[in-house]
Amino acid sequence: MEGLLEIKGLKTYFFTEAGVVKAVDGIDFQVGKDESVGLVGESGSGKTVTGLSVFRIVPQPGKIISGSIIFEGEDLLTKSEEEMRRIRGRKISMTFQDPTTSLDPLYTVGDQLAEVIKEHQRELSKKEAMEKATKLIEMVGISEPRIRVNEYPHELSGGMKQRIAIARALASGPSLLFADEPTTNLDVTVQAQVLELIKDLREKQKMSLVMITHDMGIVAEMTQRVQVLYAGMVAEVGETHSLFKRPQHPYTEALLQAVPRIDKRKELRVIPGNIPNLINPPTGCRFHPRCPYAKEICKEKVPQLELTDKGHLSACHLWRDLSLSGA
Amino acid sequence: MENKGPENILNVDQERLEKRREANQWAVAWRRFKRNKAGLAGLFIVLFFVFIAITSPWLSPYPQRSYQTLYEGEAGQPPSLKHPFGTSRSGLDIYSEVLHGTLGDLYVGVGATIIAVLIGLAVGSIAGYSRGRLSDILLMISQIFYTIPLLPLILLAARIFLILVAQGFGLTLILILLGVFGWPTIAFIVRGEILRVRELEYIQASRALGAGRGRIILRHVIPNILTPIIVTATLMIAGNILTEVVISYLGFGDVNTSTWGLTIQEGYTYIRTEWWTTVFPGLATLFAVLGFNLLGDGLSDAINPRLRD
Amino acid sequence: MENNSKNILEIKNLVKHFPVYTRGILLKKQTDEVHAIDDVSINIDRGENVGLVGESGCGKTTLGKTLMLLEEPDSGQILYNGIDVVEAFRTKNNEKIHEIRHGIQMVFQNPYTSLDPRMTIYDILSEPFAIHKHVEKKEWKNRVYELLKMVNLEEYHAERYPHEFSGGQRQRIAIARALAVDPKLIVADEPVSSLDVSIRAQILNLLTKLQQKKGLSYLYISHDLSSVRQITNRVAVMYLGKIVETANTDEVFSKPLNPYTQALLAAIPIPDPEKKRTKIILSGEVPSATNPPRGCRFNPRCTYVTDLCKEKEPALREITPRHLSACHYSEKFL
Repeated sequence: MEGLLEIKGLKTYFFTEAGVVKAVDGIDFQVGKDESVGLVGESGSGKTVTGLSVFRIVPQPGKIISGSIIFEGEDLLTKSEEEMRRIRGRKISMTFQDPTTSLDPLYTVGDQLAEVIKEHQRELSKKEAMEKATKLIEMVGISEPRIRVNEYPHELSGGMKQRIAIARALASGPSLLFADEPTTNLDVTVQAQVLELIKDLREKQKMSLVMITHDMGIVAEMTQRVQVLYAGMVAEVGETHSLFKRPQHPYTEALLQAVPRIDKRKELRVIPGNIPNLINPPTGCRFHPRCPYAKEICKEKVPQLELTDKGHLSACHLWRDLSLSGA
Repeated sequence: MENKGPENILNVDQERLEKRREANQWAVAWRRFKRNKAGLAGLFIVLFFVFIAITSPWLSPYPQRSYQTLYEGEAGQPPSLKHPFGTSRSGLDIYSEVLHGTLGDLYVGVGATIIAVLIGLAVGSIAGYSRGRLSDILLMISQIFYTIPLLPLILLAARIFLILVAQGFGLTLILILLGVFGWPTIAFIVRGEILRVRELEYIQASRALGAGRGRIILRHVIPNILTPIIVTATLMIAGNILTEVVISYLGFGDVNTSTWGLTIQEGYTYIRTEWWTTVFPGLATLFAVLGFNLLGDGLSDAINPRLRD
Repeated sequence: MENNSKNILEIKNLVKHFPVYTRGILLKKQTDEVHAIDDVSINIDRGENVGLVGESGCGKTTLGKTLMLLEEPDSGQILYNGIDVVEAFRTKNNEKIHEIRHGIQMVFQNPYTSLDPRMTIYDILSEPFAIHKHVEKKEWKNRVYELLKMVNLEEYHAERYPHEFSGGQRQRIAIARALAVDPKLIVADEPVSSLDVSIRAQILNLLTKLQQKKGLSYLYISHDLSSVRQITNRVAVMYLGKIVETANTDEVFSKPLNPYTQALLAAIPIPDPEKKRTKIILSGEVPSATNPPRGCRFNPRCTYVTDLCKEKEPALREITPRHLSACHYSEKFL
């Protein structure tokens, strides 16, 4: 698959009063053209910070320490703020978890869409931009777009707001979309609608998608490839089907087995302990205090990503000796 | 295959036990406060003034409002060794006046604030806790009191009092008035906080456990709304001191008790030649107000740290 | 009063509406009503774990709170162990209120706001003792340690403050607090929704274990159907203030007889890339409960809607033994 985005050795730290939080501590991540990749992890995994790092909008006191983010052949970390602004929203877009706070309550929905459209297509008149905005609203499946375009965010429901946020992200036809937990705050039936919409638009626009989520169900449904993060580092990368059926990292296995399903009851696997402290993370493999298979080497040496026999990348010293089972 | 069960978690926790610092909210706030230089400065200034106020009866060479230096032939003198802040032409030893005035001004400043806080807490709690009519009425009353211009009112009251009773305002009366018209600020804060806290789940959990209203208010609500009240009260003290100084300066204050404002008033007319009578109490006012403001700011930061840039 | 019936909790025709005000110049007046709960009846047996599911606005959280008398119902009956709960509170019958508060406890959704941040864990867990006085002062320490152990926490955790714990641990403390009065029924309102995926299993397993050990009943309120499937015996599905379907868990999930339940189940992604589900994508949004549609409340979004649905509201009726559904056409789905 042709590479669209390639992140190598990304490190983003937060310099807080309490200490240095190593939120992203050496992550490699690739997205190909027209590919849908899941970025999976729990809180503290670094999945959201990775997304923010690509856009270079990491909030204070965070700072990207090292690494490279190659997009369409150029390293984003070397670009100026002005250049980044031309890329954000146009070549790469992002939608956020809470549509209520990601839309400005003071402006109409149409205005906010038109703003983005005009930002990247300066030559359009206000009227033309509004026309385009209305078309976008229609494209994301909202009824009566001509009325909606003049409404304020608070007049819309959660699902509609998220669709507007998606419309705004796609306004300039980006080649890559980061969707950060797009449906977590939405009702179940609305979630299904929004996921369908994202799938639909991705096909129509031939766009690559990075789905940042903690929901394994969404990953199974929406992605071709999955990257599992734990405590700021990559645990495993693999093709979705294969990863779910035969994971090759103890954390992936634990995660799959801890998740309940609606189609059947099962024994819920408990992962003892807690997500580690990112200021003083465990030595060696960050998962070792909670790993049932851990050995001495896991405490001492940080595992590197290795190519496995099934085509996954696994950051586990013991992947060869372990026979793990999936969901 | 090692089995990492809960025992290993225990070990990690044991470590935490050793290195753990006192995590109670006051200890945490104190630690943060200590790092704020301005706040610490404010604290020292305030403590200094409190010390002066308490020891003033013994520390000052002359009793308050004493014109003795006139008889000693030393009135109207600039600062000297004997009279470090000079003497006024009417015979006051400014140094003594400033010391006594500290007590007077702190008395008014703190006293008025205490009254305002007590009334404000009471009204704010009821307004915040009750629903419907009562809450609306109390809110309206608070708003009315809040918009009444304090200074003109006090001056007017003092004048009327003077006419009626042929006596000037006592310091205590000023204090009471300041408190009685200063409570709305506190009431608004209390009401706002209670509205916020009321629906929080730990309050509901207590209700679900069967806790009575009284217990919930005393044990759960008040401790959680104290912090903005403390900060506002500290700043209020500064404000009240300043207001007292203005009242006395305008001539409506208590002529029998030393306050900085009174001293300033006496010396103002001759400020060109007798600057010390005005300047020293003026400086005292400045530092006291500054001290309380810095302290209030420091407390506010320590308790609610702003996101650092 | 001893009740030997199977039911620990009986809710009959419960109604709760919330007034909506608009501000006038001086005062405000009521302009509308939110139909949070509209004629809901449900029973819970001893030792049973009943799931209450639905999307936002369906009334499930309001039902939980009303049950705990954190909200007063407009009408209807709540019988706990045979005691009329609403009446007991209205007449301020302290003896009965005492028994109710001892019997039903609640675990809330947000572990970050359900514990008083100014109190130590010891204070939080001993507060029930202070209120109900059912444990002697000298026994408090031991009991607190016992409660901590029951939820897999350690004795030294008692001196700490909530902010020193993770979300999962806080939720365990909240569960321990609910257990402090030795309740017979626990109302759990979205207890794991705020927690990380790997921590949820800890709490869910804990709840199941406690149920077995102590013979507890649960009302498990959640929008996360996967966890509901996992731990409940029976499920009630709510939509816009009404129960639209209820039966034992396996039956509801494998053979739903109500179109809303079907759509709900179809909407949930399964963590298995091989399982492709049949999509029922509903149109429109979950409407507000202020002006529920006429007839069947689900009719504007239902794929099988007919004129009858728009006219007449379907009653909740038994389709097969112990499987109830509120739809005119449930038989068609058998």
